[in-house]
Amino acid sequence: MSAVTIDHDTHGEHHPSGLWRWVTTTNHKDIGTLYLCFSLLMFFIGGSFAMVIRAELFKPGMQIVDPMVFNQMTTMHALIMIFGAIMPAFVGLANWMIPIMIGAPDMALPRMNNWSFWILPFAFTLLLGTLLMPGGGPAGGWTMYPPLMLQTGTAFPFVIFAVHMMGISSVMGAINIIVTILNLRAPKMTLLRMPLFVWSWFITAYLLVAVMPVLAGAVTMLLTDKYFGTSFFSAAGGGDPVMYQHIFWFFGHPEVYIMILPAFGIISEIIPTFSRKPLFGYESMVYAVASIAFLSFIVWAHHMFTVGMPLAGELFFMFTTMLIAVPTGVKVFNWTATLWRGSISFETPMLFAISFLFLFTIGGFSGVMCAMVPADFQYQDSYFVVAHFHYVLVTGAAFAIMGAVYYWLPKWTGHMYNEKLGKLHFWCSTIFVNVLFFPQHFLGLAGMPRRIPDYPVQFTDLNMLSSIGGFLFGASQLIFLYVVISTIRGGEKAPAKPWEGAKGLEWHLPSPPPYHSFTTPPDKEVWDHPYRD
Amino acid sequence: MGFQTIKNLARAAILLGFGSASVAARAAKTTADAVFNMPEGVTPTSHQVYDVHMMVGWVCFWIGVVVFGVMIIALFRFRKSKGAVPAQFHDSTFLEIAWTIVPVIILVAMAIPAAKTLVRMSDASDPDMSIKITGYQWKWQYDYLQDGFSFFSMLSQKSDEASQYRSGIDPATVDNYLRDVDHPLVIPTGEKIRLLITSDDVIHSWWMPDFGGKTDANPGFVNMTWIKVDEPGVYRGACAELCGRWHGFMPVVVVAKAPADYQAWIKAMKAANGKYVSPFDGSLEDVGSPVVFESTSYNSVMGQPTGAAVPTGTKLGSAPVAAAANAGAIGMPTPAPKTAAAAAASQPWDMQTAMARGKQVYDQNCASCHMPDGKGNPAMGAKPIAGSPIANGPLAAHLARVLKGKGIMPAWENILNDMDLAAVITFERNSFGNHTGTLVKPEDVKAAR
Repeated sequence: MSAVTIDHDTHGEHHPSGLWRWVTTTNHKDIGTLYLCFSLLMFFIGGSFAMVIRAELFKPGMQIVDPMVFNQMTTMHALIMIFGAIMPAFVGLANWMIPIMIGAPDMALPRMNNWSFWILPFAFTLLLGTLLMPGGGPAGGWTMYPPLMLQTGTAFPFVIFAVHMMGISSVMGAINIIVTILNLRAPKMTLLRMPLFVWSWFITAYLLVAVMPVLAGAVTMLLTDKYFGTSFFSAAGGGDPVMYQHIFWFFGHPEVYIMILPAFGIISEIIPTFSRKPLFGYESMVYAVASIAFLSFIVWAHHMFTVGMPLAGELFFMFTTMLIAVPTGVKVFNWTATLWRGSISFETPMLFAISFLFLFTIGGFSGVMCAMVPADFQYQDSYFVVAHFHYVLVTGAAFAIMGAVYYWLPKWTGHMYNEKLGKLHFWCSTIFVNVLFFPQHFLGLAGMPRRIPDYPVQFTDLNMLSSIGGFLFGASQLIFLYVVISTIRGGEKAPAKPWEGAKGLEWHLPSPPPYHSFTTPPDKEVWDHPYRD
Repeated sequence: MGFQTIKNLARAAILLGFGSASVAARAAKTTADAVFNMPEGVTPTSHQVYDVHMMVGWVCFWIGVVVFGVMIIALFRFRKSKGAVPAQFHDSTFLEIAWTIVPVIILVAMAIPAAKTLVRMSDASDPDMSIKITGYQWKWQYDYLQDGFSFFSMLSQKSDEASQYRSGIDPATVDNYLRDVDHPLVIPTGEKIRLLITSDDVIHSWWMPDFGGKTDANPGFVNMTWIKVDEPGVYRGACAELCGRWHGFMPVVVVAKAPADYQAWIKAMKAANGKYVSPFDGSLEDVGSPVVFESTSYNSVMGQPTGAAVPTGTKLGSAPVAAAANAGAIGMPTPAPKTAAAAAASQPWDMQTAMARGKQVYDQNCASCHMPDGKGNPAMGAKPIAGSPIANGPLAAHLARVLKGKGIMPAWENILNDMDLAAVITFERNSFGNHTGTLVKPEDVKAAR
């Protein structure tokens, strides 16, 4: 490896210190850290709502909360996890890693970047505050279907406003990512030489720009229906409640791919590193992500198979939804081929990536099952669907995020995390997440609807098992919290490249990297190109 | 490898899967027995749906076996700790094409039977009869369009009591907890029944796993589906779209009877002057929500009907001849529960009876919006009963409000009978700190309709 000169920013290191630094920062590393810390806090808040849900569902009968409070818990659990935990975590990873991975000094629009983050604490204070308002928080599900959602009381306009703020944050962040990737790549880094994490975020950003405004439109129509006399969703005024569902899910389906494509990117970084082998099929992997993104726009009504669509519509959406399994499968096969004849070691990031490979695929299988419309007439709105999306979101997106945190924590903090505790967190999480969600497949098949606080006695045993898994899975996340905090504060010094097989620009910077890195772009010789000759 | 070979291999794998299935997962016939798997159900549709489910389930299972198998082998064979040296290959156009085309073939092979099933399920033409189902917060209304009557079906009293917050009643002691209603839907077997499904307020969904699926109930629109039940029995389902506070508490219960028994039940219903005839033992329920005849005004709930729907010569209170034929026709193990309401109906109408019954009616119908403590829910517009000017003011205004409703408060005259209305208004006027001392009588309610 030739000698490498990294330009350290030794002058102008006069960023403010203390709390004000975090308020005014335009530095992508600081903002990435803010997003990640915020996301971790939201993860625990959303998780505590889930604990209330599982506590009530532990036994039949109503022991813990009133049904209305239970409905608020299910609604808020989803809103917090989706918009407060998963999405900000991915944005935090994007902020930290994309500029470094492409050899850029920062994001293209650093001040907008600051705003993108700081909107979020306000939005979520508003959203969480609704729980304390008269009438309580929103209780119509995170999907907010009318007419039920229009029965929300005082909390209603605050929820809509919070959703708008989150949307603005996402769109600004997405614009920033697109502009950064298109304009600030190091010389000779063509698009098909970028790391796959950067590709996955590039495509995700386009999805965000395309669909967040659609959500904004849908919730604004809810607002005007309630307060300004419109009847978009009321048959009495010539409208249609099902139209809301179409608009919402036109946003909602790309949204779930927004939540998984960055995860795919992370897995494509971790598996080659710990297999000591290049990613198999780089170009196919890029095309697969692009295909998934394109297809995600034409499958939305598979969330609505039971609303009474005409036969032609049901058939169309069944076929397109089944089709989306193809590029997803291609990705799973490529990751497997990366493992094949590699030289594999099992550090914590790799453990999470392997767990993702198995468990996300199980989530994918239940998704293919849901695509079959006749069968979906039974699965829809049952616990089978709940099991499906938790497999793809928890063992998929959340595990990828955790893997990414373990993978890059030494780089960010300059300290190695405690590998024993990391492995303990991994094993507890993987085992208990399955105890929590696998029984839910059976509950759904046996006839248990979702979003209910109480159930017929025949469902007791599996619910009890699921709740126990839930409590233990939740408790296990405290290990993660401890590991993250203690690694920030100290630990064995981390080298520039703690992982033997790691390739990419980030591993050429010291751990931790200087506040301003790549103030001059790196030469092509500096960045290994593991993907193409 | 030819296309035919692949198809044969696929069929063999699926058959192997089915073979394992028949050994391993003995399917349940109805939801009552279902623990791990979808019930096969009792209609041709439910069987086809079950078959599609099992087909896709087994295909996914075997694909998982193969894919996970390769992964596990890789993770074992190529461990660095065992000295594996990494290869450096990183693409293969052939593999990329192969593992794109093979999944497409598998998906097409599954899509064909699934599409065929869907087309068959969508054909609701030439039904033998039609029933309109309307979802309410939080009960179902069943409307027999040919026979001209309708009634409400809500969670049974015992389930409702046990499901109250910290009721202290163990759900395991309640028969069919949360799966039992006061007025089940009764249908004939062997006939193609068209279901017209809608809602009065928010979106609900009528889910009968034993019949093969669910259909959403959208307010202002009518969805159409059909069922044809093979065998008599009691089948239980649930509401499957979040519809507010008691979404989990508005089950669906259907009693399917052989056609002759069904006709007997219809005759009995028409003869019963607004009372619901139990499909289990033929007994008349004279409390709870009435059976309403479309040509009948509501004045007839406790008295003589004015419409032509009831056969001439029927006297009020006479047990129809058909009732005896009903009893034992199905041999159902669970007779309709004799509710506390029935006990109330048999006692003299005094303050004690009225207050006891009124509290039950309040808890079951009013508390969800006006709250169990009567303090109301200002955020959704439910005024408090405690200290209410209406509950403490002239009875006429109170009766008018409850009977006719206002805004999202329904018109209870369509849902509750005179006795229950009298009881609940009495209860409201003498509870939550209100002390009017008024005892409202069923005749007062009838006069106010």
